Amino acid sequence: MSQYSVINTRVHNVDGIAKVTGRATYTFDVKLPGMLFGKILRSPHPHAKILNIDYSKALELPGVIGVVTGKDTLGVKQGIWRRYQDLCDEQILPVDKVRYIGEPVAAVAALTEEIAEQALDLIDVQYGLLPAVYDPMDAIKKEAPEIHQGFERNINVTRHIEWGDVEEAFGEAEYIREDWFKCGGQAHMCMETRAAVSSYTPDGKLTVYHSTQAPYYMQGLLAGVLGLKEGNIRVISHYVGGGFGGKFELDGAIFCSAVLSMKLFRPVKIVFTREEDFIATKRRTPMFYYVRTGVKKDGTFCAREAKVFTNGGAYTGMGATALYLTGFFHSFPYRWKGYRYDGYRVYTNTLPSTSMRGFGAPQAMFCSEQQIEWIAADLGLDSIEIRRKNAHYPGYEVPGQATIASCGINQCFDTIKDWTKKKGKLPENRAIGFSAAGFMSGGIFNWFDTPYSFSSAVITINYDGTVELYVGAQDIGQGSNTTLAIICAETLGVKVEDIKVHSGDTEHCPADLGAWGSRQTLMAGNAVKMAAEDAKKQLLEVAYAQSGFNIVYDLDIKNRWVHAIARPERGYDYAELVKKAIRGKDGQRIVGRGYYTPHRKGMISPAYSYMVQAVEVDIDKETGKIKLVDSLTAHDCGQPINRLGLIGQLEGAFSMAAGYGYLEYMPYEDGKLMNPNLVDYKVIRATEMPDVPVAEIDTYEPEGPYGAKEAGEGLTNPTAAAIGNAIFHALCVQMKECPIRPEMIVNALKEKEEKERK
Amino acid sequence: MEKQLLKLTVNGQEYELYVTPKTLLVEVIRDHIGLTGTKRGCETVSCGVCTVMIDGMAVKSCSILAVQAEGRHVTTVEGLEKNGKLAPIQKAFLDHGSYQCGFCTAGMLMSCEAFLDENPTATEEEIREGIEGNICRCTGYNSIVRAVEAVVKGDYREEEI
Amino acid sequence: MIHDFTYLRPGSLREVLSMLADHKDECKIICGGQSLLIVMRQGLLVTDYLIDIKGLKELSYITFDEKEGFKIGATTTHRMVETSELIKQRCPVLVAVEKKLASIQVRNWGTIAGNLAHGDSSGDLAPTLIALDAKMKVASSMGSRTVPLEKFYTGLFETAMEKDELVVEVQIPPARPGTATAYEKFNLIRNDQAIVGVAAAVTLEKGGACKEARVVLSNAGITPIRAKSAEVVLIGEKLTDALLVKAGEAAASDADPVSDIHASEEYRRHLVKVLTKRMVRQAWDQAAHL
Repeated sequence: MSQYSVINTRVHNVDGIAKVTGRATYTFDVKLPGMLFGKILRSPHPHAKILNIDYSKALELPGVIGVVTGKDTLGVKQGIWRRYQDLCDEQILPVDKVRYIGEPVAAVAALTEEIAEQALDLIDVQYGLLPAVYDPMDAIKKEAPEIHQGFERNINVTRHIEWGDVEEAFGEAEYIREDWFKCGGQAHMCMETRAAVSSYTPDGKLTVYHSTQAPYYMQGLLAGVLGLKEGNIRVISHYVGGGFGGKFELDGAIFCSAVLSMKLFRPVKIVFTREEDFIATKRRTPMFYYVRTGVKKDGTFCAREAKVFTNGGAYTGMGATALYLTGFFHSFPYRWKGYRYDGYRVYTNTLPSTSMRGFGAPQAMFCSEQQIEWIAADLGLDSIEIRRKNAHYPGYEVPGQATIASCGINQCFDTIKDWTKKKGKLPENRAIGFSAAGFMSGGIFNWFDTPYSFSSAVITINYDGTVELYVGAQDIGQGSNTTLAIICAETLGVKVEDIKVHSGDTEHCPADLGAWGSRQTLMAGNAVKMAAEDAKKQLLEVAYAQSGFNIVYDLDIKNRWVHAIARPERGYDYAELVKKAIRGKDGQRIVGRGYYTPHRKGMISPAYSYMVQAVEVDIDKETGKIKLVDSLTAHDCGQPINRLGLIGQLEGAFSMAAGYGYLEYMPYEDGKLMNPNLVDYKVIRATEMPDVPVAEIDTYEPEGPYGAKEAGEGLTNPTAAAIGNAIFHALCVQMKECPIRPEMIVNALKEKEEKERK
Repeated sequence: MEKQLLKLTVNGQEYELYVTPKTLLVEVIRDHIGLTGTKRGCETVSCGVCTVMIDGMAVKSCSILAVQAEGRHVTTVEGLEKNGKLAPIQKAFLDHGSYQCGFCTAGMLMSCEAFLDENPTATEEEIREGIEGNICRCTGYNSIVRAVEAVVKGDYREEEI
Repeated sequence: MIHDFTYLRPGSLREVLSMLADHKDECKIICGGQSLLIVMRQGLLVTDYLIDIKGLKELSYITFDEKEGFKIGATTTHRMVETSELIKQRCPVLVAVEKKLASIQVRNWGTIAGNLAHGDSSGDLAPTLIALDAKMKVASSMGSRTVPLEKFYTGLFETAMEKDELVVEVQIPPARPGTATAYEKFNLIRNDQAIVGVAAAVTLEKGGACKEARVVLSNAGITPIRAKSAEVVLIGEKLTDALLVKAGEAAASDADPVSDIHASEEYRRHLVKVLTKRMVRQAWDQAAHL
């Protein structure tokens, strides 16, 4: 019998009716009176000076209302890492030069989309071509062209993580292995492409509808680049068609539409085509990994040294965070006596790289978990046991980085071991591979330099007992509105149907850092819990006053029933109490406030999720084609809150992570993306998905609301590695590059045969 | 380009519009008639978010000239509910959490609805083949398959009067 | 962005042919438009006149007779073909190919003739129908003629049709006794277009040896390729593993594939080898059980 009324039950998503009846209005659907349509002219060159832009002919085209270029902006170099000026390197509409194919150079607003598009052909841009460089290993050479002034060797960011005496630890190792890996990029490929509608009015106020993961960030960043006060900017984002880490920075749609609107004093809508979404929004960071690992013959991990070069593309974006997290999670979830990571983010003249679900960890696990599998095979050790003996445990301190509170990894190993055993002998051409992983529940670092709490919540209770919950947390499909409504309902003692969630509007909602880094369940959840406790306390004060109970009795509200905990059968309806409480407050509604900012929680996160995922793969040896047949994920997210949401997050994360593992190839040639469409860029479809069941491991995270941790991003981390390990077990080939495509498998088998012949 | 008269029925309602022949059906639905449940997500007839039904057949409205729908019956997601009562497939989606961001949902529902009309006893494999033309980036499809299976099983039958 | 055009909707085949005669170079036929509209939206195809034959019911039919075989009208959709009981019974390979051709939505509105007329060398129908020895009936205001599908493709997206001609019918002769046909394409996702595809039609003698063979490759050249070297290898022989390997290698030598982001030339040849082996075996086994 669960102690909870609402938590971890199958609650309908609170936005369900809107979404299944076509009523949900996305930025894509927004229409404002007098609205114009904007289109962006993009650089065809990877690296060039902008010498001159002549748009006089475009202005002559009937229906064209205005054109903007970098000259219409303040020329502010902005970046999401606001606190660090040198990482704020992107003007979005550049003034002096372009640094990647697809970068905006001008934007047009016209009466129709068609006219705006025609106008683009009438803008004449004179470029002074500059030598370009595409590969980070070329970009760090002395003779490489300088992409950003002042960044020697095009090294954008470096990160260093170290603990223990690494050389000594290697000295203790009885077996050392080193490998090089290449991890590809990936497109977020949200179903709703980038979209924004900006409306600037003569009173100096800017209203923006934006498909975004973080309305507050947009508000803050726009203020910086447009020279406006944050308070005069309103960002609205009620329904968002997917984000996955690509939508919490300023993009070309929001920026160009805002600049156009400020010039023309009319609303301007910009929606990216799918092609633009591929070539001109940031991507998952491609990484080159060198890993050297030393272990004892019995499998005890001694030392690891990793050097990583990431292809940062033309601008920093969230790349600095991905660079750190990849190095941190590359150690996860194991104890290392000595660990050293050096990460170098390199500028190149390609699409900027940024965060994407997993935030550097899928790449880290692809390398780490495969190498560990090969080490186990080299030493004749069991794959599970070698991991188990070195795994984190509750209370473990990652030296100088993090203290692990709840940790269910050991139970995860048991679950996967059982499942694999039950599978017995597999048919030929089939193999199981698995990977351990873990992830953060939000980050502690205030690189945005916000003065606000990381998450806040306000609750007001109406006379009829219905509850308005105001949060800045953004629902982008992961179901945060529902998860937070569940936490609110559980805490307050009412039903989810009683809660109306207000989010996605900076005018009416408190600031919140938004939906990224898997932070909202823990951070916004804590804020909501605190606000609901505040409101409940105010209600119970009145109830206590009324009750006349002895001091030792406690009152509570559960399922809308106000009662003494010791005598639950005697009580009354919560709505009655609300009426009394409002009268008691002079007719004022009950208002509860809550907030959360992590303090003294290490270098990365207040809490970590853990998981082990096994994937059963069918491989056609002759063609190299992979089919995913079955899987199991043993998952520790502390206390699950939103049951349906959790299942959805796991299955969805799997589909995206599997894509990273074997499908979503993103090849560039001379800085140009070769497959900017959904015919040639392969996204997984219903026919290719296996069952993705989850086995929840029961743990309790003290830092999280009701013991909850993240669930949704961490699950993107293990799959590519698990697929690689399955291929290793089936074919005895080591795949060091992802996505793993059939041709690569066929070539690897050929190589292996040739080696064996010799 | 000269506009011409287009008469078609959408969700049981007759419309008379003037459109240029190059207008796509999805543009008529979204911009001329104003039903924005149906979305657009690509330029290559790949993603399926624009799926509607023409005379009961699932089609991608971004790859059909509106004038080709002359005299036909078009059904969009808005036409699934009747007087505020949700269709079985919509209820199934709610029960099984078969949507997350929701952007693909309208097209997905129409694919499922057309598929169920044609094949009310579909197997899991057939269901997956039936929605192969619709991309969902959020759910991983399995919850959608479960919703369709529930309708096939008859979980919503009593309410189908 | 689609460029402007004048839209014509003929009410009969005769009207179409007369429009084609009038506008020749400046017109394009649209039926399902599932391939055409993509290239028009990208601005890659511009036309002054667009002649819409989608509504021509007189061209929507599937008929079969023992002597002439199948006749499929130009406006017959993929879905009609794949759900036709006649075709399920007498030409099951065509149903199998249609079901994996593209999504249901595209199959509901697109037509088999339109797909063939588009001339995409990575299509599935052309190689299969060439293996089935199909013919295309094309008509103009001057009359009609039939062209063996094998001779129909003259280049990348180019056909043997004149500017005033239109496909009116796809003809599939009745299968010769002892013949079975199989097709498979290699791709990463079920209904995606072929990275390569191989169609094999095998006719067996009473003794079990191969009497006739047709091996046709998809996306291994700028048009579908008839791998005649592979056919020569098979004729007169009995089925062995070694024979299949030889046939595969021969087919690979006939292939003229490109390297692109999906596959290198060598890998495409490798896939041709593998798929030829498999499809010849599959067709052979089916023929043996007839």
